[in-house]
Amino acid sequence: MGVDIQSLVDGLMTALQPTNLLWLAFGGFLGTVVGMLPGLGPATAVAVLIPITFGMDPTTALIMMVAIYSGAMYGGSRSSILLNTPGDGSAIAATFDGYPMAKKGQAGQALAMSAIASLIGGLIAVVGFVLLAAPLADFALKFGPAEYFLLMLFTLSAIVSLSMGNMTKGFISMSVGLLLSTVGIDLQSGVYRFTFGLPQLSEGIDFLVVIIGIYAVGEVLYNYLSIDKPLGKKKRVGEKWITKEQWKRSKWPMIRSGPLGFLIGVLPGAGGSIASMLSYTTERQLSKRSDQFGKGAIEGVAAPESANNAASVGAMIPLLTMGIPGSGTTAVMLGAVIMLGVKPGPLLFENDPNMVWSLVNSMFIGNILLVMINILLVGLFVKILDTPPKVLYPLILVLAFIGTFTLNYSIVDFYLLMIFGVIGLFMKMLKFPIAPLILALIVGGDMEQNFRKSLVASDGGLDIFFASPICIALIGLTILSVCYPLIVNGIKRKKMRTQHKEWDM
Amino acid sequence: MISTRLLMPVFFIFVSIGFLIATFNLPKAKMGDPNAPIYFPAVISIFLLIVSVIYLIREWRAKRKEDEPLKRLKAGRTPVLIVSTLVLGLIYALVFFHLGFLVSTILFLGALLFLVNGKSRWLVNIVVALLFSLASWYAFSHLLNISLP
Repeated sequence: MGVDIQSLVDGLMTALQPTNLLWLAFGGFLGTVVGMLPGLGPATAVAVLIPITFGMDPTTALIMMVAIYSGAMYGGSRSSILLNTPGDGSAIAATFDGYPMAKKGQAGQALAMSAIASLIGGLIAVVGFVLLAAPLADFALKFGPAEYFLLMLFTLSAIVSLSMGNMTKGFISMSVGLLLSTVGIDLQSGVYRFTFGLPQLSEGIDFLVVIIGIYAVGEVLYNYLSIDKPLGKKKRVGEKWITKEQWKRSKWPMIRSGPLGFLIGVLPGAGGSIASMLSYTTERQLSKRSDQFGKGAIEGVAAPESANNAASVGAMIPLLTMGIPGSGTTAVMLGAVIMLGVKPGPLLFENDPNMVWSLVNSMFIGNILLVMINILLVGLFVKILDTPPKVLYPLILVLAFIGTFTLNYSIVDFYLLMIFGVIGLFMKMLKFPIAPLILALIVGGDMEQNFRKSLVASDGGLDIFFASPICIALIGLTILSVCYPLIVNGIKRKKMRTQHKEWDM
Repeated sequence: MISTRLLMPVFFIFVSIGFLIATFNLPKAKMGDPNAPIYFPAVISIFLLIVSVIYLIREWRAKRKEDEPLKRLKAGRTPVLIVSTLVLGLIYALVFFHLGFLVSTILFLGALLFLVNGKSRWLVNIVVALLFSLASWYAFSHLLNISLP
C-alpha cells in the first residue's frame, strides 16, 4: 500500500468543501486565541474546545480538532514572543530570540517569521506524512498483542525518561494513570474493579474529564498562584513583515528544521518541545552568528518554530496508525479522536481512507489559512492579549464545566473535574510531569488487554514477549529509554569532574 | 516538626498500598484464569509503591530545604481563591439541574468574576457573565444541538 493518489485527491475535495473550509478557519482562529492566552497551552485549548465538535459529522469534527490543535500551536508562540510566557514546552524555544526581538521593537517581524516558519515546517511535514503514514500503517499490521503491549510500554517509558531529572515523579505519574485506567468493568472477565459501588464509575473514569480537569481547571488554579503579579510588558509590534535579509538568514534553518522536527514528532514520547529545542541548538551550532543567538537572532525564531510545527504534524502518524500519542497535547487529541468514534490503528487507513486523507489535506490547507489568519489579524491578536487574565480564568473554568457536562450529561463528572483540577494544581506545583499520567490513562486499558491476550495466546508463558524481532527491538528501546537519563547524567558528572580537576591544577 | 515535603511521598505510599489491598480483594473471574483481573493492577501498585519509596528517600534527604511550593500556595489571596473556586464549583454542581443551565451559569460565572476580578469592576463582571452565559447557551443548545437543562 503506497500513497493512494485517488484517496489523496478525494481527501482534497472533501477538505475543500465550503463547510469544512469554514470550520477549518474557525477552528484555527479559536485555537490560536486560546493557545496564546498566557499560561494556557495547546493541550488546554484542545481540551476546552472539544465540545464544540459535538454534533458534527466525524470527518468535519476531526478537521476542526486538527485546526484547533494547529491553531493552538501557532497561538502558543504569540504569547512567547510578545509576553515571554510560553503556553507549553514546545513554545519555550520561541522565547529565546522572539522576546529579545520584541524588546527591540521587532515583535511584528518575529511574529511574521514564526508564522512563515510554522508554515514551511508544517508543509514539509505534511509531505513526510503522505510518504510515511501508509508504510507505517502497513508495518503496524504486523503487530500482534505482544508487540502492541511492548510498544505502549516503550512509549510510556520514553515519555517518562524525557521528563529529565524527574524520572521518579514521571514514573509515579505514569503509575497513577495506569491505575486509574483499571477503574471500571473489566472487559474480559466482567469483574467490577475499584468502582466503590458507584454505578457512574462502572464504565471507568472518562479520560476527557481527567484531561479537562488537569489541563483546564488545574491550569487556572495554578495560575492563581501568580494572579496578582503584573504580566510581562507587552512590546510594540513594529514592522509586520520580514525583510529580505531576514528571509535569507532564516531560509535554510527553516528548511533543515522541518524534517528534523517531523522525525522527532513521529517518535513516540518525543514531541514539539524536544523538536524545537534540538533544532534551536543545532542551528546555533551551525550558524556563523551564533553569538547573536539569545539576543534576538531571527534564525532563533525560525528554526524552532518550523521544527515544532513539523513535529505536531509528525505526531499525528503514530496517533492515527497505532493509536499511540507522542505528547500531552497529542494525547488530548487522541482522546478527542476516540470520542468522535474513530478507532485509530493501521486499519483506519484501509477502512476510512477518505477521513485520513481529508485530514491530511486539511492540515495542509489549515497551515496556509493559519498563516493568513496570523499575519492579517496580528493587530486583533495583540488586542486579545490585552484581555485581563482575571476575566479569562473564570471564562476558562466555566467552559471546562460546560464541556465536561456535555460529555456524559452527568453531575458526577463535575466532582471528578474538580478533584482532577486539584490534582493538576499539585502536579504542576510539585513539578510532576502530566503527560505520563494522561498517556497512561488513555493507553492503559488497551495495554492491559494486549498484555492479557498475549498471555492467553502463550498459555501464560512470558516467552511470547521475546518471540519476534519487533518485540526484541521494542524491549531494547524500552531499556535504552530508561537508561538514557542515567547515561546522560553520568557523562555530565564525568565532565564536571574533569573540569574541576583542570581548575585544581 | 515533620517536613511538609514528606507528605506527598507518604500520600503515594498510602495510595499504592490501598490499591494493592483493594486489588487482592477483587472478585475472581468466573471464566478463564480466575486471577486475570488482578495481575495488571497488582503489578502497577507494587511498582508505584517502589517508586514512592524512592521519592520518600529523596525528599527525606532534602527535608531541611525550604518547601517552596507550599510557600507559594499560602501566599497572598491564593488559598482563598482556590478554596472559593472549588466551593463555587460544588454549588454549581448542586444547583445545575434545579436552576437550569442559563441561570446557574450566570450565577457561577458572575460569582467567579467577582471573586477573581474584584468588586470594583462590577459592571464588567455582570456584562461578561450575562453575555458569555447567553452566548454559550445559544451556541450549545441551538447551534450544536446539545440538550441542556
